[in-house]
Amino acid sequence: MKAILIDDEISNLENLRTLLQKHCSQVTIIAAAQNINDAVDAIEKYSPDLVFLDIQMGEQTGFDVLKLLPTRNFEVIFVTAYDQYGIQAVKFAALDYLLKPIDIEELINAVNKAEHKMAAQIQNIQLDFLLQQLKKPETNVSKIALQMQSEIRYVALSEIIRCEADNTYTRFFLSSNEKILVSKSLKEYADLLRPSGFLRTHQSHLVNPKYVKSWLKEDGGILLLSSGEKIPVSKPNKDSVKQALQKL
Amino acid sequence: MKKSRVGLFSTVNIQILHKTIHLLFQTLPFLFYGFSFAIIATSLMKIKLNLMKKIIFIFLSFIVVVSTVNAQKGINFNLIYAAGGKMLMCVDSSAKNVVYSLGFPNQPYTSFNYLPEVNNVSISINFRKNISIQHYRYTILVDNKPILLNKSIDMSQLKDTHAGGDEEIFRSTTFGIFTIKDKIITIITYDIKKPQDVYKNIFYGKPIPRAKVLSFSKHFKTDQGVDYKWIINPKDRTRIALTEKEDELTIVKDISDIDYLYYTTIKDKKNNKIIFESTIWRYGGIISKEHEPLPNINIDKNIFKKSGDYEIIIQPRIKWTVSPKEIEKYITRYTLSVTLAEENYTKKELYSYALMAAFVIGLNFLLILNAIKRRNKKRLTVEEQQKNTAKLQLNSIRSQLNPHFLFNALSGIQNLMNKNEIDNANKYLSKFARLTRNVLDDKELISLSQEKTLLDDYLQMEQLRFGFKYEINCSENLDLDNVEIPSMLLQPFVENAVKHGISKKATNGKIIITFTKQANDLELTVVDNGNGFDTEKKHNGLGLLLSESRIALLNSIYKENRFTLAIQPTPNGTKISLTLTDWL
Repeated sequence: MKAILIDDEISNLENLRTLLQKHCSQVTIIAAAQNINDAVDAIEKYSPDLVFLDIQMGEQTGFDVLKLLPTRNFEVIFVTAYDQYGIQAVKFAALDYLLKPIDIEELINAVNKAEHKMAAQIQNIQLDFLLQQLKKPETNVSKIALQMQSEIRYVALSEIIRCEADNTYTRFFLSSNEKILVSKSLKEYADLLRPSGFLRTHQSHLVNPKYVKSWLKEDGGILLLSSGEKIPVSKPNKDSVKQALQKL
Repeated sequence: MKKSRVGLFSTVNIQILHKTIHLLFQTLPFLFYGFSFAIIATSLMKIKLNLMKKIIFIFLSFIVVVSTVNAQKGINFNLIYAAGGKMLMCVDSSAKNVVYSLGFPNQPYTSFNYLPEVNNVSISINFRKNISIQHYRYTILVDNKPILLNKSIDMSQLKDTHAGGDEEIFRSTTFGIFTIKDKIITIITYDIKKPQDVYKNIFYGKPIPRAKVLSFSKHFKTDQGVDYKWIINPKDRTRIALTEKEDELTIVKDISDIDYLYYTTIKDKKNNKIIFESTIWRYGGIISKEHEPLPNINIDKNIFKKSGDYEIIIQPRIKWTVSPKEIEKYITRYTLSVTLAEENYTKKELYSYALMAAFVIGLNFLLILNAIKRRNKKRLTVEEQQKNTAKLQLNSIRSQLNPHFLFNALSGIQNLMNKNEIDNANKYLSKFARLTRNVLDDKELISLSQEKTLLDDYLQMEQLRFGFKYEINCSENLDLDNVEIPSMLLQPFVENAVKHGISKKATNGKIIITFTKQANDLELTVVDNGNGFDTEKKHNGLGLLLSESRIALLNSIYKENRFTLAIQPTPNGTKISLTLTDWL
């Protein structure tokens, strides 16, 4: 895999290069760039398979690089030290990212995944989706990308009735009666979907308030959904769930 | 049902009976209402009791003359009224307003029949079989003049009569038919064996006169004894002042044949409560010009608790069947505007007033105390809060060491490790540790030398990322170890210089920091040779905004020393100077 590294700090570039050479032999680094213009030029010139892209670069962002490119026919692994907003959007698009200092295991996983996806050629849509998300305010996201075994599904938040934890996986229950199993923890989706109003009623339940029909008092509190399902509300979440439902 | 009047001893009883029967019929359909049922039950019990007591009169009143209807002079002989005592009467069939057989608590053996619409009345007397009729004598007076005196009963005229189907047979005779219009007929009967029990039956065909108050008088004590003050022929509204000595009020009524019919009530007009009631008239003490004793009542002053208007009502004791407006013609009303020299309070009132006053005073006292306390507390808490929030804000700003810097610094160390520069990695790791420790330490003030080390560490970490040059210069007359400044004071400005100034210039960038003593002021400057920033365009960047709010906070905490921030562009960069006035 031909890779280009983009970061405004030379030490970070050095570091990534060292780590990739040591642990990811399938990656060949063909170029590195320290600012946006160099990055765009390098990508257009070398048409890489994989780009390691720093999100925060001085006063600009790695997303700007993507915006400047007419076509994005490559895999991206985002690299960031600390960036709340950018990370959130990346998560919504189900794209891969690494946090600095870089964890070697995560790096290997991300590279393997990218290699896998390259074969399926689905990255392009994901990047388009990401750039669309970035245009909207955080609480106004209407769709989320769900990474399945062999495909990525873009699901409207209004279609999601609820999510249930299944070990380290999360099962999505959609209004079309479809169930989608995603290999990410419920906690991650709880954090991601909470700004959109989703309620964490229980350790293993996340509920879209749109589908809550009524609050049943049995067993200390149960939500009856319009689908007829009963979702338990655990004691510590009782008050916050009640409050949130009253606001609707 | 309504027309057949039932003669009981007093009108009160008949009223009850009427009412109950009426009620019974009215409520029969609603018997399922439990509470109506209860009323009926208790009323029925009452009737029973009355029946037992006054059984004979009920028998008398239910006598129905079935045989011949004597239409003599328009009298309805089918409708027989009890006329009191042993007497019965029949009146004109056209007569409606018939008040009969009134008794009086203070006038025994007297029965009063009020017949304003009656022209003729037929009166008869009934005796039980066991009574010795020959012992009875009777006298008949028309308008107080006797027409028959001490007559015996004509035994030959006596007839047997059944009382309302009952088995008991009475002996009955008639006194005849009398013209009653505008007349008063009085029949007096007694048994010669008991001549002191004189029965009086009055048949009153005149309109009842309206009572008149001839005078009010105040009774007061003097050195010699007692005396009276008079208010003769009082108006409808009379002012009366009662002094301490005046202890009794007397009301004098005009004289009439039927004084016993009238009763007096006094109402407190403020709350319409009856404070005095009397059915008695006293005769004596006060006489008219004609030397006749005048009916009067004495009223203790103490019934008037407070100054104010009281209404004196004198009215005949009759259960009227006419309209209230009509009744009002017979009622005498006087308003007495009483002024008391000393208000009478009952002990209970006094206690409750005292208690109330104490409560009000106590409450006010508590409220004022509470208000003062609260105000003080509020002021204190506001002051405390202001200081606390200022400190908290300062703390939070202080600890805002840019996370982006922190993780990138760690990433830089990771790079040193991966490049096998173990010594450098160690050096930078300990610098990083010292820096974070300084930030995490909650110290408000640190010495200049500590601040210098902190900045050194910080700049070296940044140097690792961007590779610029820097200097920290201190003027020689500064005691670096003993002069203290708020911690992390310069760091945000230095970070700004790195970020916006020289990060893009890499090795060509330079930052110079100086600590200088200017008389009593401490001047701290940060100079960079970066892009410089537009001083017109204020607040370009969060770091600077935070710094400015931090200076404002510091100024609110250290009120004696002023912190002044100046940002100046230089020919090739930016100079930031922070002056701490009177700091040294």
